[in-house]
Amino acid sequence: MRNFWLLARHEYRKLVSKRSFLVGTLGFPLIIMMVMAAGIFIAIRGDQNTPIGYVDNAGLINTAVVPQTDEDETLLPLRPFPNETAARQALTDQEIQVYFVIPADYRRTLQLDAYYWQDDPSSTVVSDFNAYLRANLASDYPASIRTRLVEGPDLVVRSADGSREFNSRNIFSFFIPFIAAFFFIFVVMSSSGYLLQVVTDEKENRTVEIMITTVSPGQLIGGKALGLLAVSLTQVVIWVLAGVVAVFIGSFFIEALRFISVPWSLLLVVIFFFVPAYAFIAGIMTAIGSAVTELTQAQQIAGILNLLFLLPFFFTALFLANPNSPILVFLTLFPTTSFITVMMRWGMSTVPLWQLALSWLILVGSAMLSVWVAARVFRTGMLRYGQSLSLKEALTAVRSRS
Amino acid sequence: MSTVSVSSVRKNFGRVTAVKDVSFEVFPGEIFGLLGPNGAGKTTTIRMMLDIFEPDGGEISVFNGRIDEAKKKRIGYMPEERGLYKDLQLEQTLVFLGTLKGLAENDAKARLEGWLKRLDLYDHRQKKIQELSKGMQQKAQLIATLLHEPDLIVVDEPFSGLDPVNTRLVKDIIEEQREAGKTIIMSTHQMYQVEALCNRIVLISNGRTVLYGEVSQIKREFSGNAIVLEGQGDFSNVPGVLEARRQNGAWHLALNSSVNPQQVFRHLAQQDGLQIERFEIAEPSLDDIFVRVVQEGKEAEEVRYA
Repeated sequence: MRNFWLLARHEYRKLVSKRSFLVGTLGFPLIIMMVMAAGIFIAIRGDQNTPIGYVDNAGLINTAVVPQTDEDETLLPLRPFPNETAARQALTDQEIQVYFVIPADYRRTLQLDAYYWQDDPSSTVVSDFNAYLRANLASDYPASIRTRLVEGPDLVVRSADGSREFNSRNIFSFFIPFIAAFFFIFVVMSSSGYLLQVVTDEKENRTVEIMITTVSPGQLIGGKALGLLAVSLTQVVIWVLAGVVAVFIGSFFIEALRFISVPWSLLLVVIFFFVPAYAFIAGIMTAIGSAVTELTQAQQIAGILNLLFLLPFFFTALFLANPNSPILVFLTLFPTTSFITVMMRWGMSTVPLWQLALSWLILVGSAMLSVWVAARVFRTGMLRYGQSLSLKEALTAVRSRS
Repeated sequence: MSTVSVSSVRKNFGRVTAVKDVSFEVFPGEIFGLLGPNGAGKTTTIRMMLDIFEPDGGEISVFNGRIDEAKKKRIGYMPEERGLYKDLQLEQTLVFLGTLKGLAENDAKARLEGWLKRLDLYDHRQKKIQELSKGMQQKAQLIATLLHEPDLIVVDEPFSGLDPVNTRLVKDIIEEQREAGKTIIMSTHQMYQVEALCNRIVLISNGRTVLYGEVSQIKREFSGNAIVLEGQGDFSNVPGVLEARRQNGAWHLALNSSVNPQQVFRHLAQQDGLQIERFEIAEPSLDDIFVRVVQEGKEAEEVRYA
């Protein structure tokens, strides 16, 4: 058992100390930060507390009516103008960043015009002016109705068993299972990709013969698989933390980010499906790495197989339109696609218990078969220097005694 | 009690029989030569001995029983197909391999320092393996084999890629290990090294044990089957001679077991174009014995299939 941990630690240290790991791991959070910074810039740009001008030909806005806001939230100031000429002059003099012209027939047409220089008004400008308009339009109604009208509908869709809920204010939460699915397929595939590389390297470096006279093949592959999994998890943890920090900072500037909630029930899927899914693909990659002689050859075969694991992402539209369609039920049960399909359906629908149970059993069975086959192909293929195993030889190895 | 006992082992790979019937025993304090032509089954035999392959028949005992994880830590193996992690530093690689063999990291580092200094690698310890010369990598591999002070040492072609100075150094180290009571199995094609180092040998040909015993005894048994000749003319096509080679102006002829030196002498004396100046019955070298046994084995095999 000591050697198992030594191998895991060795693989972890070896990869983590590489420059490519640092670039790959820190590059992604940098991109997230840049995207978030761009979003914040777009959200706040041009605001600078410069007032919003308006010409009210409909007699709609009473400056005494102020929309309700959170304690820490302040609206951009409004500045009325008697006519468009005065407003235009103020815009030219940069006293205001935009002015709206509310026509006399606004209540009938619900249309108004906005005037500004070159850049579109920011979302803050639009939402603040909307808030003033709504507050004034609803000012004649009793307080309870006024609040409902101003805040708009709060639509909550809940599954019949109450286990799942979707809130219209919570639009980003809708995508969390998709994002989680992406992250976990990344972990599984990058770890197994590393494993493929490591197994091929052992053969190319001719180190495998020394290793297997020191540790058992199970310890060798198991220890490496664990170390490489830890590498991928380290990457994802750093990325998720960067994402959480970015969302936290962004929530001060982008309203929709404030309502994100994590569907914690998704953790159950991860707990049950992650290990067998990883063992399944790790077994396949070990067998490929053992059977071929060069990494490029191994990557070509693995690349085709990877498509089988990424298949659910090609059906994203179907997940949104009909998450219980027969195709997605099939993908739920099929071992290469079950983990991701279950995660993606989790956000859209309620996956029946029988499908979850059957899918898990098929995945666990496939994982055990994959590891068993990999061990046999590894024993035969690992010492075939400079010569690949043919399919027939691989099948013979699987059927043989040792 | 023997350290390794191999008894009538057999191994097939599909329809190909790599090892048909090989038996030998190796004892502590000896250097044992595992010899044979290319493809004879030596490496397969070693791999069965080290539990890389499971034999299809026969029995193998290492340290008085089946090999297990604890026994693997008492073995040092230098395979013919050398290999270390090319993109890792020398010191880091050797410490890692030492810890896998049961050493604590600090112990591995402490022992390594001595070995690196002795083998002239200390100044290169921070270099990546791929930056080292072939000879340096070969010495690093020897350190990986011996760092954990194994009781059984299996070395396959330990002198390949080494210059004469390093060959001498490695030879000294192997002899030191024998003096320390370790069991050493050495596979090589360099017969003069076998003669210089090995107490006993086994010769495997075509998957079978064809010769087994003490080197001195084997040489005695084969004396009379080689002659040294000096004279005028071409002595390369003499009937009953398996191999004829020129060395330092003299001809060395390895004889087939069906002819004796007197018959060869009579034949040569009757040849008009040849003039004999010296005719001597030689103690055969292991090289001669190797050639003779392997060729006779081949001929016997051909007769069997004819």
